[in-house]
Amino acid sequence: MKECVKNQKNEKFNTYLQVYKMQIIRSLTYKFDVYGNIIMQSIIMLASAFFWKALYAGNDSVQGVGVSDMMVYTVVSSMISVVLTTNVERRISNSVSKGTIAIDMMRPVDIYKVFFAENLAGVTTLIFQNLLPILLIGSIFIGVPVPASKEAFLLFVLSLFMSFCINWFIAVIFGMFSFKVIEMDALIQVKKHLIRLLSGSIIPVWFFPESIKNILSFLPFVYLYQLPLDIYIGKYDSASLTKGLIMQALWVVVLYLMFRFFKKKAEDKVMIQGG
Amino acid sequence: MENMIEIKNISKSYHVVKKGEGIKGALKGLVKKEVKVIPAVSNLNFNIKKGEIVGFIGPNGAGKSTTIKMMSGILTPSSGEILIGGKNVKTHRKEVVQNIGVVFGQRSQLNWDLRLGESFELLRHIYRIDKTSFDEMIDTMDEILGIKELQDKPVRQMSLGQRVKGDLVAAMLHSPDVLFLDEPTIGLDISSKYALRKFVKEINEKRGTTIILTTHDLGDIEQLCSRLIIINNGKLVEDGNLEEIVDDIAPYKTLVVEYYDEQIPQHEKCEIISTEGNVAKYRFFKKEITAAKLIEDLGKQKAIKDVSIEEASIDDIIRIAYEGR
Ligand SMILES: Nc1ncnc2c1ncn2[C@@H]1O[C@H](COP(=O)(O)OP(=O)(O)OP(=O)(O)O)[C@@H](O)[C@H]1O
Ligand SMILES: [Mg+2]
Repeated sequence: MKECVKNQKNEKFNTYLQVYKMQIIRSLTYKFDVYGNIIMQSIIMLASAFFWKALYAGNDSVQGVGVSDMMVYTVVSSMISVVLTTNVERRISNSVSKGTIAIDMMRPVDIYKVFFAENLAGVTTLIFQNLLPILLIGSIFIGVPVPASKEAFLLFVLSLFMSFCINWFIAVIFGMFSFKVIEMDALIQVKKHLIRLLSGSIIPVWFFPESIKNILSFLPFVYLYQLPLDIYIGKYDSASLTKGLIMQALWVVVLYLMFRFFKKKAEDKVMIQGG
Repeated sequence: MENMIEIKNISKSYHVVKKGEGIKGALKGLVKKEVKVIPAVSNLNFNIKKGEIVGFIGPNGAGKSTTIKMMSGILTPSSGEILIGGKNVKTHRKEVVQNIGVVFGQRSQLNWDLRLGESFELLRHIYRIDKTSFDEMIDTMDEILGIKELQDKPVRQMSLGQRVKGDLVAAMLHSPDVLFLDEPTIGLDISSKYALRKFVKEINEKRGTTIILTTHDLGDIEQLCSRLIIINNGKLVEDGNLEEIVDDIAPYKTLVVEYYDEQIPQHEKCEIISTEGNVAKYRFFKKEITAAKLIEDLGKQKAIKDVSIEEASIDDIIRIAYEGR
């Protein structure tokens, strides 16, 4: 053990960077579902674009949003869905069902940081494999998604970062559910569709009735897609922007605290049950 | 010599909650729980000295893996404490895991999608091993197991024997003082078993690594273990070196004597357990008389044509120990 302390001085280690690199190597070995994903996403994107065009026929603007903004919305939403791809719930449920979770936890690292680094690596490869092709297809068939302004773009990046965190914490907390349930697949599907429907990723929340819109503004989902998208197309004023970003930040904090709580419980459970 | 491992009165029972399937099961599980308590290990005590190779054996379900998991910090005991290198596993988990290596023959710790070398490199960063000691360790391991030729192979394409070799090296990379091997020879062919045994002997001799292994293979026990700890139903039944245990469980031998005719002589220090024609079987206690003396005494009474000695096999000994006499 004395040796190890010495080792730490001789060489600077960035364990999680190494995890990130290795994960990129791993995700490159599996190329098969890349094209499927691009095609699926593109179909959804193009179909929504045509759907909105048809709906807008004759109207310049609906709910204060013009048809060209709606096109941008559609393309950027597809791109966000790539950034918000996460596999962490399956990662956890697989190691629980295979019984390797205990071994993972035995290593002298923070396993959730490992998961996070793996997730970032996954997203990094997807940016090249999915996001850029989608951007290309969208730009050609629908239009180049230009942000409303430079300020809007910067705020969008900030908001998207928080979306990423919210999405990740929800997924991790969900993954920890696999300590209680054997069959996670059904639950993962439900969660996926719930997010699709309630986050504004396909149908912007503006089109929902006022009362539902109100309820949704207290749930985390709209802070995944709707808020960053609104910001991107410039559909905000200083009041709605402040409120939105504060709510989003609050959700990051709340979900982080929930994550910490469940993490402790899951660890105790593994240590007592051996996974 | 100092104790490397101290097991102080540990017990472990599993509390099994029936898991529900799907959403309904999940919700049900939140409301009411059916808990079943399964005792796995009870009041276990033993110490292991630095540099020992200990065979930790017992029948299926005896609690071997449970104990190994507790010693390696994967499971917490329900009661009692475990010290490794003087440190409490529960309270100093981080330090303890830096000082132990674990191999489970049944499940690999290697990364399925990476090449073996990449897996090692990842572990190098996880355990913060500097490049020089890392390379030295790989060289040493290559001498024993021939690991370098496997470095570029993806783990998922490896045979079981190759994978176990990879796991052994992975467990040794951070130069742990203690190595736990849980059924490392399971499913291995003769030559892989031989390689594993060689590995165990050499790292024990060269590095002084303390090794605890569980196995159902008697060859492993005979060839490797200077000491055996036998458990059954979660309780310790025997602890000692192989000969001591043999003496304890089977303190007698059987002398088979063939005479020239059917007149069988007797001896006061042994009992005749069977006779068949001019062959007699005498059972004697090792402590009371030696085989040589017995043969000499009997030979004085009647001329002896042939003798042989029957001993309980290790197989028998262990079976008797398992069945708890
Ligand atoms: N995770 C678990 N949950 C519930 N019960 C368990 C769990 N793991 C082991 N057990 C039970 O604890 C007891 C001891 O099991 P353990 O795996 O320690 O035995 P073992 O000596 O390693 O057996 P084997 O030789 O078959 O590997 C068994 O009755 C087993 O069914
Ligand atoms: Mg076992």
